[in-house]
Amino acid sequence: MSGKSKAFTKEEELLLQDFSRNVSTKSSALFYGNAFIVSAIPIWLFWRIHLIDLYSSLISFVLVTVASTYLVALAYKNTKFVLKHKIAVKREDAVTREMTRKLAEDKKMSKKEKDERILWKKNEVADYEATTFAIFYNNAVFLALVILSSFYILKTFTPAVNYILSVGTASALLALLSTGSQ
Amino acid sequence: MDKLAICVFFVAALSAACAEFCQKPEVTASAYVTEDATVLTTIAFTTQFTLKCSNGAKGISLYAEVEGRTLPAVRLSADNKYQVSWTEDIKKARSGDYSVKLYDEESYAAIRKAQRNGEDPSNVKPLAVVVLNNPGAYLGPWVNSELLAAVLAALVSYTAFSAKSKLLA
Repeated sequence: MSGKSKAFTKEEELLLQDFSRNVSTKSSALFYGNAFIVSAIPIWLFWRIHLIDLYSSLISFVLVTVASTYLVALAYKNTKFVLKHKIAVKREDAVTREMTRKLAEDKKMSKKEKDERILWKKNEVADYEATTFAIFYNNAVFLALVILSSFYILKTFTPAVNYILSVGTASALLALLSTGSQ
Repeated sequence: MDKLAICVFFVAALSAACAEFCQKPEVTASAYVTEDATVLTTIAFTTQFTLKCSNGAKGISLYAEVEGRTLPAVRLSADNKYQVSWTEDIKKARSGDYSVKLYDEESYAAIRKAQRNGEDPSNVKPLAVVVLNNPGAYLGPWVNSELLAAVLAALVSYTAFSAKSKLLA
């Protein structure tokens, strides 16, 4: 690797720091919307399959869904943060190649601007991929945990307790796991 | 006069005795077997049949023998309608044809006698045989839905995990 690519990484780091853990409003809305949907899905499972009484456990539904939405959204954010750097490095070459080909015809554009455009595109690609993958990954793990705990581990509990415990622990575990760097 | 009365009595008794014996028995039967073993504890077999005798005998007491077990046939109505029913453990109830052998009082006594004397009771010819088919009880699906859901969720999570580790590598 030449010095040029190293300089790139440094610039990229600066750029990435702008985007760090503070996600944009659009991304945040996407995260919270998704987290809400995935947290509300277990209500259906408990209502139709575990035959929980819908009205008597309305309060726990609301509280658990709100808490789990927050925790799952937190997990999304953390996973995205960890993934974004890695994805940016992984996709660097491909994005650079494509953007250089695209911008090659434009003779008027300065080298600096071209580099900036490449950097911007790289950031966009990494951001998008990290966001979508974080949502997929956390949803898959969350639902697997809920199914496993509600059907097998907490099978003997009453549906109301089973709901609170399985959804609560699944989201808490997800948030906890996402704080790790790997 | 007395002699005549005795004579009449004997003829009546004789005809009654003849009527007790069913000649050329014909049986038309319908049967029902419970099948959904997911909600049952035992399998119930029941068969209802009409006995038709060429000599028009009515009101015969019938006994049934199924798989080595003897049961009384319940008379449902005066026109020779009977019912035989029994229950069996879900695990012991095999699927397939069950032959319900019907005996009148006389052949039933012969069976009991054969059993007492340690002889083979199958030598006694039954009056009629009703075949009852058990298609086999439904014990629930082979893979229950929660296991399937758990396996699918685990599969998707595995894909997510491997994709993540590939990205982080």
